[in-house]
Amino acid sequence: MDVIEIKNVNKFYGKKQALKNVSLTINRGMFGLLGRNGAGKTTLMKTLAALHKKRDGSISVCGIPIENAKEIRAVTGYLPQDFAMYGGMTVYEALDYLGALSGMPKVLRKERIDVLLKRVNLYDQRGVKVKALSGGMNRRMGIAQALLHDPRVLIVDEPTAGLDPEERIRFRNLLCEVAEDRIVILSTHIVGDIEAACEDIAIMNGGEILWKGTVSELIRNAEGKVFSVRVQKKFLPQIKSGHIVTGMLMQGDYTTVRMVSDTAPDIENIFPVEPNCEDAYIWCLYSNGCEVGESNGCGVYGSEDVYGSAGGES
Amino acid sequence: MFFKECKKAVFSLTFLLYVFVVFAMYLTQFGNDASSAVSAPSPDSGDYGFTATPIPETLMPNAAEGLVDEYLAGEFTTYPTGFYKKVKLTEKKKTALAAVITELTGLTAEELDGFDSYEPEGFNYTADENGDIVLSYHERVLPEIRVSESLTYERFEELMEEADKIIGGGSYYSKKGISRYYSMVPKTYEQALAEYERLINDEKITGAYARLFCDYSGIDLAVMPVFVAAALVSLDRKYRVSGLIYSRKISSARLVFTRFAALVTVLLIPAAITAVMANVSVSSRYPGYSVDMLAIPKLAAVWLIPNILTAAAVGMFVTELSSPILAVFVQGAWWIASVMSADGLTGEIRPFTLVCRHNSLYKYEAFANTLPQFIFNRVFYTVLPLVLVGLTAALYELKRRGIWNGLFSGGKNIFRKSAV
Repeated sequence: MDVIEIKNVNKFYGKKQALKNVSLTINRGMFGLLGRNGAGKTTLMKTLAALHKKRDGSISVCGIPIENAKEIRAVTGYLPQDFAMYGGMTVYEALDYLGALSGMPKVLRKERIDVLLKRVNLYDQRGVKVKALSGGMNRRMGIAQALLHDPRVLIVDEPTAGLDPEERIRFRNLLCEVAEDRIVILSTHIVGDIEAACEDIAIMNGGEILWKGTVSELIRNAEGKVFSVRVQKKFLPQIKSGHIVTGMLMQGDYTTVRMVSDTAPDIENIFPVEPNCEDAYIWCLYSNGCEVGESNGCGVYGSEDVYGSAGGES
Repeated sequence: MFFKECKKAVFSLTFLLYVFVVFAMYLTQFGNDASSAVSAPSPDSGDYGFTATPIPETLMPNAAEGLVDEYLAGEFTTYPTGFYKKVKLTEKKKTALAAVITELTGLTAEELDGFDSYEPEGFNYTADENGDIVLSYHERVLPEIRVSESLTYERFEELMEEADKIIGGGSYYSKKGISRYYSMVPKTYEQALAEYERLINDEKITGAYARLFCDYSGIDLAVMPVFVAAALVSLDRKYRVSGLIYSRKISSARLVFTRFAALVTVLLIPAAITAVMANVSVSSRYPGYSVDMLAIPKLAAVWLIPNILTAAAVGMFVTELSSPILAVFVQGAWWIASVMSADGLTGEIRPFTLVCRHNSLYKYEAFANTLPQFIFNRVFYTVLPLVLVGLTAALYELKRRGIWNGLFSGGKNIFRKSAV
């Protein structure tokens, strides 16, 4: 029974509510959790990994109540957002140590480590010290350690933050492969990752589930709400202050601006365009009453916050 | 798992520091004392050292003279916590002490105050007729002090205890002070010979050296392990791997106890090596004598392992509770208090003193007299660390479940409650 059931979960940090009545059903395959930094994604991920305690509601992972922490740990693999390992250990030693902590016998550890290192393309680096690994290699080692004990659920928190585009694509593909026979929950604030890897998604904001469904449903919701216009550069500040801009393409003295809006903005030569996933995500936030655009300090969407930035969720 | 934790502990800077201190203490302290063999006392020597033997006839007037001397000087030397402290009495206390002196010596308060000519010994600076400064030394001028003839020794002890209480404790007139400063008498040849024969015949030489070895090693082993323990536990935080380890299947109790066992094992190795080295070194200095080849390691196991267990357990517990710095501070403070509060360097082992002392090759009787306290002490400091490690495992589990994040770990609250 590979399914995660989350029902009416609430959680507080002191007086601040971090999760608000969260309910989700997550089935086998890749599940994307999308949201801004501070939306509550990491809190939810840690709660699912039995690392945080919920205040109320219920969670069951593959039929195991979350309160049975030891059993939950046995069936889940967790890749934290800030994955790190003892720098003085080699890649093999680090995985062997974590495997021992998972209660795996030595023979099985050796077998699994070799298989996984080959799978994540780190076999040649097995004798390299962890501190000498690049960011991408480190993240691949992270996925290897999370899969070491062959978990039924893999929880990966912001795994692509800080990776270069090539590494990010490779990493996403790897996650898709491992999702064939287990639940993989991918948390990110990079829409591109979700679009490329997940079918089912949930969008979080302020600790709440703002929206849940498939990527195509998300895009469909934004149909007729995305517009494009080519304007002189001097009008940009005006447009940015009055509209929710999701993309800009500079072309000499002119800029092609992409924006989301309920109705067509009153700008000369503006025309509707097909929404992409980033537009749909911003539309989702906007249509659900979230503050978006420059007025709340979020900047212009379509920049790296949507396509991929170096930072992770804090 | 056990060997992996051992490896983590060994490959650390703090472990190197620990090894250095253990060997340095061994070489500079025990190595120095055991650098040559003890020879039998010669009947012609006449100097065999001193032994604490309370002889009321000499002890009582000497102690009374000392008390009057300090009373007249208006200052008392004390060691209330092991550190020197000069005490000046209030008028009220001075009056109370004068009453004690009156009963002790028969001198009334008025007579005591009348000793105008009293001057403590010291240097005087005076100017001669040319105006040049002249430095002169004068002996103290103290009136002859006699103890009341009717005073019994028991009453004398009570009065000294009272005087010590008025002064604030830790004075020369405490039970310890009387024994240490006024009970010392020269040893006789027969006493010295008996001690020597006991060392050679009854204790097979190394039996006596074992106590001396443990005395010295016990000092550093009661504090140095805390550095290694605190560093090992804080390694997870340093490398930010706590979350990763929390998510593994292993139980908190198993993880914490395995780490403790690994830590104690690696900490024992240098201590065990020095114990064997000590035994070999001492044996080699007594060729032709019957020597117990395991005496030092055997006693070291009983005497020193509790020190290592305790310092390591405190290091783990306080680091898990709060921070490695606090762990070092706590154990360091306890260690200083223990070392400084020792009543004496021989024969005064108390049930709860962490650092047991016996800084002598002799005085076996003094050690034997406190043997029950010693056994209780060592059992206590074997059980206490296990309790602390159990509590560490409980704290670890609370953190792991996100219920509690540790003491003084940030935020406004002293007890930083975790999210629920």
